[in-house]
Amino acid sequence: MITKDSLKVLDVSSPAPQYVCLKLDAGKPLQGLLPGMFYELRAPSQKGRLFKPISILEVEESTLSFLIKVVGAGTQAFTQLKAGDRVEAIGPLGNGFPGIAGRRVLLVSGGAGYPPLAWIKRKSDVAGFCLHLHGCASADEAFPCDLLYTDDGSLGSKGLVTDSVDCLIAEHNIDLVFSCGPVPMLAKLTELCMQIEHYVSMEAYMACGIGVCHGCAIPVDKAFKLVCKDGPVFDATQIRWSEL
Amino acid sequence: MKQIESSLGKLKLASCVTVASGTFGLEYLKLKDADGKPLLPQESLGAYVSKTITYEAKAGNPSPRLYETECGLLNSIGLQNPGLKGFLNNDLPILKETLRIPLIVSFSGSSIDEFCEMITTMEPYDEIAGYEVNVSCPNVEKEGIAFGADPEVIYKLVSRLAVLTDKELNVKLSPNVTDIAQMALAAQEAGASSLALINTLWGMAIDWKTGKAMLSKKVGGYSGRGVKPVALALVYKVAQVAKIPILAMGGIHSWQDALEFIYAGASAVAVGTANFTAPGAPAKIAQGLHEYCKANNLYIRDLIAKVK
Ligand SMILES: Cc1cc2nc3c(=O)[nH]c(=O)nc-3n(C[C@H](O)[C@H](O)[C@H](O)COP(=O)(O)OP(=O)(O)OC[C@H]3O[C@@H](n4cnc5c(N)ncnc54)[C@H](O)[C@@H]3O)c2cc1C
Ligand SMILES: Cc1cc2nc3c(=O)[nH]c(=O)nc-3n(C[C@H](O)[C@H](O)[C@H](O)COP(=O)(O)O)c2cc1C
Ligand code: FES
Repeated sequence: MITKDSLKVLDVSSPAPQYVCLKLDAGKPLQGLLPGMFYELRAPSQKGRLFKPISILEVEESTLSFLIKVVGAGTQAFTQLKAGDRVEAIGPLGNGFPGIAGRRVLLVSGGAGYPPLAWIKRKSDVAGFCLHLHGCASADEAFPCDLLYTDDGSLGSKGLVTDSVDCLIAEHNIDLVFSCGPVPMLAKLTELCMQIEHYVSMEAYMACGIGVCHGCAIPVDKAFKLVCKDGPVFDATQIRWSEL
Repeated sequence: MKQIESSLGKLKLASCVTVASGTFGLEYLKLKDADGKPLLPQESLGAYVSKTITYEAKAGNPSPRLYETECGLLNSIGLQNPGLKGFLNNDLPILKETLRIPLIVSFSGSSIDEFCEMITTMEPYDEIAGYEVNVSCPNVEKEGIAFGADPEVIYKLVSRLAVLTDKELNVKLSPNVTDIAQMALAAQEAGASSLALINTLWGMAIDWKTGKAMLSKKVGGYSGRGVKPVALALVYKVAQVAKIPILAMGGIHSWQDALEFIYAGASAVAVGTANFTAPGAPAKIAQGLHEYCKANNLYIRDLIAKVK
């Protein structure tokens, strides 16, 4: 059931420059939510503007957490919130990543693509083996993970998150890859993981978030599919990367 | 809600508030509020207008297809739709089962013959109460605007369609023409029983840092708050000359907006972009109109085109 609700802000923090972490009170225990699912969120100051799609970072009973990178007006507005304020939310939306029980999973995130994979990693002690690689511009954007890559080498390894994927897959007997991040990173990863089951969480500009407007379509298989309704998680080999 | 009843040609509308093609779907009727109740009870709508369908299925335009500006929305969806067969086989049965309000099917063709074949195919379905003939989509090369910019073509097309149906025949007009009143009169003379306006205006946005257009198609359709004064003036202009009723849309976000369009000459209004920025808006607009009319002992049908 998709609900439009106004959720109370429990906590606002800034775990990194340019990032805001929101904890919202859903008012009732949340069930059936999967990593990769998202909400359309809007701060009260943005009334009259579009909602912004944001992946779930974590769910604990009735608390929803989000980790948001500030890139424009819609995301900037979340930084102005304080505990007790309310955020408009439509959700939960999207399909989410498949289960990982018994699998050996490589999680690859880039920049603001961190949240859904971080949630899988945190749950993985009960489900299966997970190795989480995260790539970002510099130490400023670093979040907890197994192996960190920065463009400028200010923390972790200097280079791209995709640099040693080949070796890691062999070394850890990986049989499933999940990824989320910028398109060039995802396209490169798809090339590297052709022989392995690989799912990506995709981004698109959204108006409705619920499958009405057809604005969030991306080239998948022989057609266009809706990121909000058919996705955001897709089989990586089905996406026509060259058209993005 | 007697106060906000209206009619559109052959259709009686229990509410003068409807939804704009391409901006509404059953998904919005399924959305729940915090208490688990429908955010938008369908009875608040006078009719349900489908997304435009074409004869063949259409994949739509490449992404990005959307960009929000300071006071409106740019889109270049490109009429992505399952085609007439897909619509009749998969969507129509669900619409039939779900809707308790009149269904208006918006459609577009790439030739006059194709429009005719489409309406003939749909005519036997009783669950279809009327048609909106889309001759105004700015986002496809062949369909739509090519038909909507020439009064002679509109006349030819609509007169062929009018003899093929007994249902409500609404023609949706584009604002991207020199004289919209001429298009309205051509549709009326050809046998249209109502008009819809406006479809989106041409619009564009460019990232000044990179010089890159925000839509893959570079130019798209502009809708939302910013188009309201334009839409209002065009509805007024058309209402001055046309005798058939007008379904008005363009930036309607509140019941006050809706009332302005009624005064300008609309018999009913449609909510478009506001569905995205305020899900449930059509219900709030209907309720606001109802309360205002009740409090002031007014009837919408008495206010149509009564601008002073
Ligand atoms: C399913 C989904 C889940 C997401 N999860 C998260 C998340 O957990 N954390 C997070 O920080 N961000 C996430 N995003 C991205 C986030 O939605 C956008 O950054 C946000 O919409 C930008 O809004 P804005 O008003 O701040 O910026 P805008 O002014 O809208 O845009 C600023 C810049 O970002 C680009 N942009 C805008 N929206 C998107 C988008 N959706 N995808 C790619 N580029 C975009 C614009 O073209 C522009 O260059 C997610 C997106 C999707 C589709
Ligand atoms: C995302 C989007 C999709 C649309 N799709 C259609 C369509 O399929 N057929 C059509 O006749 N109009 C379409 N329109 C135009 C609307 O029906 C309406 O005429 C226009 O948006 C003006 O109203 P508004 O400002 O309230 O949105 C679309 C508009 C938007 C924003
Ligand atoms: S955002 Fe409207 S269909 Fe996906």
